[in-house]
Amino acid sequence: MLGPLRSVTGRSDAGLRDLADEELMQLVRRGNASAFEVVYDRHADAAFSLAYRMCAQRALAEDVVQEGFLALWRSGARYDRNRGSVRTWILGIVHNRAIDALRRRAVRDRGRVNDEGIEERMAAPDRTDLEVARRDEAREVRDALRALPDEQSRVIELAYFGGLTHVQIAAMLDIPVGTIKGRMRLGLAKMRMTLGDPAEVVQ
Amino acid sequence: MSEDRRPSGDGDCGGNAAPYVLGALTPAENDAFLQHMSTCAVCREEVAALETVASSLPASVPQFSAPRQIKRGVMAEVRADARRARRPGATRPAMAAGRRGRSALVPAALALAVIALLAIVIVGSGGGASGTRVIRAEVSAPGASGTVRVSGGHAEITLAGMPQPHSGRVYELWTKRAGGPEPTDALFTVSSRGEATVGVPGGVAGVRVVMVTSEPLGGSRRPSGAPLVLAQLG
Repeated sequence: MLGPLRSVTGRSDAGLRDLADEELMQLVRRGNASAFEVVYDRHADAAFSLAYRMCAQRALAEDVVQEGFLALWRSGARYDRNRGSVRTWILGIVHNRAIDALRRRAVRDRGRVNDEGIEERMAAPDRTDLEVARRDEAREVRDALRALPDEQSRVIELAYFGGLTHVQIAAMLDIPVGTIKGRMRLGLAKMRMTLGDPAEVVQ
Repeated sequence: MSEDRRPSGDGDCGGNAAPYVLGALTPAENDAFLQHMSTCAVCREEVAALETVASSLPASVPQFSAPRQIKRGVMAEVRADARRARRPGATRPAMAAGRRGRSALVPAALALAVIALLAIVIVGSGGGASGTRVIRAEVSAPGASGTVRVSGGHAEITLAGMPQPHSGRVYELWTKRAGGPEPTDALFTVSSRGEATVGVPGGVAGVRVVMVTSEPLGGSRRPSGAPLVLAQLG
């Protein structure tokens, strides 16, 4: 049974914000809603941005993010730090939820982001080293994607952001399934070489 | 179990590592590939290498601020869950009904899988307090037990002695009415003593069966394996 927050963590709510994600997840596993809120605040923008890129509809993206974070709260005990950062884990959950939503609702024009009233593009002050590192990472990943031959970047984007299966992509492009798989593999392998040690990229 | 060292590009493995990490396999292909990876070191290594690249892709998208109403909705449910977990007799985690029900219908073919799962039989039920039924569930894990308490159209399943889900897995609660199993938003684990108390989201009007399966993190839209817990409500 959880007692008052301070007795669980030895910290105030404000002190929670000094904890690393992995430490927060230990508290989340014990049902600490305040720790979960800190995790949410840190990663909700990235989660929403991914969902919005995939769904291209604000309402659907909001549903996906909400469902994803609730799933995270309710399965927090299963976070395994050996399989990547908390951020990677969260974005993986949101990605899976978005794919489910896209395939379930047969959204048209996916992949084409529109505004729908979203005007809160994040301000870009370089407040912390972490934010600078993330911006550098974003640029490197975009550059690596752009450096691919169009045929490879297209199948990767249709699959990862469009939520399409390799069979659907093959039908859409009128190309054999084996070729689609090959392009995915080649593209990802080239990106891996471009990005160097992937562990430095995703954390 | 022998390890398969054949390279994934030769056709024997289907070249599925890249579509797998991109989320581009169908659910059936995904399940088959997960099974394949359990015996294929080459595919495991390739997935590990490509997965890190795929997981970097979200960084490439334009960044927006998450609308504030998402946080309001999430935290309202989180704090409600936390309050329920603090009630006497509750175990952590105690899961509540999801924000909204899932409407996805399970293909009829999948119902066949569930029929096979019904090899787990119901062993009994008993009455409880006035207006309350307590139904004993059959649980496949040795030494584990479960009961479903039904009252006023709502139900809560209580489990004891359950093993922790395997790494990367979570327990998911399903309901079954006239058709196939319907997913709920109740994803949960169990305490160190194998205990959990989980509310059945959306009530149990018309529900004939409540069951629990082990699913990948984030849950599934259809069962990926045999139910570990099954209770027949009516």
